[in-house]
Amino acid sequence: MPRKIVIWVVLAALVVTFVGVLGARMAEGAVLPEIILGPLGLTDALFYLFAAMTFAGAATVALSKNILHSALGLLAALMGTGSLYVFLSADFLAVTQLLVYIGGVLVLILFAVMLTNRITEVKISNASLGLVGGGALLVATVPVLVFVAIATPWATIVPAELAPTTREIGNAFLTRWLLPFELASLVLLATLIGAVVIARKELKQDEPDTSVS
Amino acid sequence: MPVNYSPPPKSTPKVIVAVTLAAAAGIPFLFLGLVLLLTPVLKPATIDGLLSNAGIDPSWRTPAYVAALFVLALLMMNYGAIFSGVITWWERRVAGRIQSRIGPNRAGFGGFFIFIADAVKMLLKEDLVPADADALLFRAAPYFVVTGFALTFVVLPFGHSLVVTDLNVGVFYVTSVTALVVVGILISGWASNSKWALFGGVRAAAQVISYEIPAGVSIFVPIAMAGTLSMQGIIRAQGGLPWEWFVFRNPAALIAFFVLFTSQLAEANRTPFDLPEAESELVAGYLSEYSGFRFALFFLVEWGNIWVLSAIVTTLFLGGWQIPFVSAEYIDGLRGAGVLPSLAWWGWNAVSMAVFTAKTIALCNLVIWLRWTLPRVRVDQMMGLCWKYLVPAAFACFVFTLFWELAVSVAPRIELVSGVGFTVIAVVLAVLFARRVHQNIQAVQGEKIDLSNW
Amino acid sequence: MERLILRRVGKPEDEMLINFGPQHPSTHGVLNFLVETDGEVMKRAVPEIGYLHRALEKIGEAVSYPGFMPYTDRIDYVAAMFANEGYAIAVEKLLKLEVPPRAQWLRAISCELCRIASHLVAVGAMASDIGASTPLVHALRERETLNDLIEALCGARLTYNYHRIGGVAYDMPTGWRDRVLKYLDHFDTYIQEFDRLISFNAIYVKRLANVAVISKAAAIDYGLVGPNLRGSGMDWDVRRDAPYGAYPSFNFEVPVGRGFQGTIGDAYDRYFVRMLEMAQSSRITRQALETMPEGETMAKVPRKIKPEAGEALSRVESARGEMAYYVISDGTDKAYRVRARTGSFTAMSIIEDISPGLMVADLIALIASFDVVAPEIDR
Repeated sequence: MPRKIVIWVVLAALVVTFVGVLGARMAEGAVLPEIILGPLGLTDALFYLFAAMTFAGAATVALSKNILHSALGLLAALMGTGSLYVFLSADFLAVTQLLVYIGGVLVLILFAVMLTNRITEVKISNASLGLVGGGALLVATVPVLVFVAIATPWATIVPAELAPTTREIGNAFLTRWLLPFELASLVLLATLIGAVVIARKELKQDEPDTSVS
Repeated sequence: MPVNYSPPPKSTPKVIVAVTLAAAAGIPFLFLGLVLLLTPVLKPATIDGLLSNAGIDPSWRTPAYVAALFVLALLMMNYGAIFSGVITWWERRVAGRIQSRIGPNRAGFGGFFIFIADAVKMLLKEDLVPADADALLFRAAPYFVVTGFALTFVVLPFGHSLVVTDLNVGVFYVTSVTALVVVGILISGWASNSKWALFGGVRAAAQVISYEIPAGVSIFVPIAMAGTLSMQGIIRAQGGLPWEWFVFRNPAALIAFFVLFTSQLAEANRTPFDLPEAESELVAGYLSEYSGFRFALFFLVEWGNIWVLSAIVTTLFLGGWQIPFVSAEYIDGLRGAGVLPSLAWWGWNAVSMAVFTAKTIALCNLVIWLRWTLPRVRVDQMMGLCWKYLVPAAFACFVFTLFWELAVSVAPRIELVSGVGFTVIAVVLAVLFARRVHQNIQAVQGEKIDLSNW
Repeated sequence: MERLILRRVGKPEDEMLINFGPQHPSTHGVLNFLVETDGEVMKRAVPEIGYLHRALEKIGEAVSYPGFMPYTDRIDYVAAMFANEGYAIAVEKLLKLEVPPRAQWLRAISCELCRIASHLVAVGAMASDIGASTPLVHALRERETLNDLIEALCGARLTYNYHRIGGVAYDMPTGWRDRVLKYLDHFDTYIQEFDRLISFNAIYVKRLANVAVISKAAAIDYGLVGPNLRGSGMDWDVRRDAPYGAYPSFNFEVPVGRGFQGTIGDAYDRYFVRMLEMAQSSRITRQALETMPEGETMAKVPRKIKPEAGEALSRVESARGEMAYYVISDGTDKAYRVRARTGSFTAMSIIEDISPGLMVADLIALIASFDVVAPEIDR
């Protein structure tokens, strides 16, 4: 139990700090922007559809007790996010999101779940930290988040026509952002080698004899 | 008491022959014709033009777009499903010939309607969910698989201007949406709550993830040669004649072609990589617990994927829809300024579609042929082949291609030399192969070669 | 079974216990294995022996001597001729009967044709288990013609009941000799065709070579017989080394595993020995048809068979290896004890010890390479 209490205390402290800082900023007199409601076009409808999909997916990840349902929710959330990228004319990024997160990460998550030893049991459950505390946290954070979402002066741009962005991304990676790019790949390489080392250790224990002599 | 089976009819009634032939010719004509007609017409620009010509209020544009989307989606999904059905029939006929038996021959002339009979049978069967299975995921899995399959049709080209939408990340898009198929297979394997299904699901995931790497890297070779990710752009960078195809224009592309083809076979779970559902090992793998329509959906995808993989390979390496001696720009020029293109443009588009379909179907036949010839590899050999041979080969091809492109920019002629050289080698190999087949048949059948009951 | 379940108490849970069979596509009938696996690698596979037990030996004590002959067909339905022959020879030894030469020759011919038919099923099913479905169909097509020939000889395609105590049931029909010779001409080229189709296929060789290697000593210790024993490099064939019937008059070779594509005693050796044996069977059949003596096909057998008290052992080289019948007579018209020693039973016994470390797919190759016929295991 003490671990749970520590987590709660840390979370509560974070929320209090957050609310405090924002409250101070609000007191300084942040201006709420005017909300304009235009006619609902096709693009807007699609946007809300994908946003709802992302939201529902994320909610499933958090709320479902079955880990595979959570994984499925993650799939919906990631696909929704990927679709939202398209609204920013970032089709390359959208497809990359699909490839990396669904083709790679999600499949590996499912794979890992399947290879756990409790596999014979269909109903694997997620650990929950308590509904009441979570609800309280929600009540505390939602107003803050809503305020931030409304008060922030979002940079608005009109989405450009879909144009090939691959070349720009490639150029950016290999010129201006070369160092971070290489560092990221180094980190990934280290992770990969680490995974191999961990995985190999277990195999060494028993090397079965394949022939009867 | 002897059972009186009704003897097979001596000759098929003329009506059945006529109906079958009409359907066999009509179904491809109908679907390919609809693709030919609808894909250029249902483009936003054309819709706008048609609406303004007809004097309809521009506020109808959005409903028109949505309707066009639905029509195209319906067309493409049906194309995939029907093609998948027809190819099950064709595969069984070919398998029958390979195995010196007859194959389906009852439903219609030559058993052509067997795929409809099968579909009806599947629909009528009970949709069984195992008692301890995760019912939600178990039911959902086939839809993931079908979605991943159907989404690829968005960018698969059929001809010069015949593509639902030519995304500028086309190839990349195809690679990524097929990931949904893996998700579906994994979920089906796990949700069935059967050990055989789980085995199949895990095998499928391991296999598809592994083979995505050589497939993805070997795709870089045509991308690097064409300088674009768009499927149509890659085809336009090639030509109609064999030495203008990417596969022969660059020695590394030839290797990449085989790497990609092998990896695609593995991703589509076709023999020799049919480990996920290896019937002699895992009963039916991830399909073990499925029945009825859900089972049919898996099979629809399995056979439909033959078209997808053949079309991708055709697009990337075999010149796609390029018509020999007719350049794509020439066809562009024929379009005319009107809202609807000119008749000559439609004509050349139909020809380009015929070229593309012929190449793709030839590859489909190769896939079928491989399935009924080769045994299955073991799971460690499958992994070994991927990681020890295909992945290094794909990377080597990619690096070689980069240098090759540099060389081409200096001396453009080497592409032609390589193209002509490899084309000649390919033709010679094909002739030698045909001779060898002829000798083998002669060794068994003697001088006369019997093709009468084909 | 019990041992395995007990052993699992307190085991880590990363091992999976799979019930392999009895309803499984490649269990060649209704075999049942309990397979412990760690992922794809097997910890061990325990065959359940006794699943198909039908008390055939006990039936042998309840029916008359000739009455048991149809039951022997059911011991090994893929190669029933040998089960017939073994039982007939054993009872003939009890009766001290001399079988006429023509019957001996017909027995040899029918047995060799049956051996080809059985080996065709074996190699075809093996290819099918490895994942190539075409060779099986081709092999069954050839077996169909063989079945036609055997049907013309004895009226049955599967459970022949052709050999009788003291001879064989029928002489050859007219024209049968030429039909068989004509078929054998075709069959000799067919073996080459089959080799081209699958035997040297790179994937096939890789799947079988160096898999489930059984050393010569292990093969002898476990009592493997027939092609399984010869595949391990042991040069032993009852037809040559303990001859019976017409076999001393024929010229033939005994193919032995030499590590054709890998190690001696691997699954490929067991497979390829069968391929080579089919050619030898064809050779024996030709010789037998050419040197066929004239005369009776049945010895003078008393109407009521009532051997003196005593015991007899017969050994024949069945398609699945050495098959022995041990018959004890107590002087009545029913046997006191009939015991059949079959190749599949001993082949099953080695599976548990050879399985650790094999992959699940190798288990299939192993079962297929032993050419196990389920009813022969338990009788």
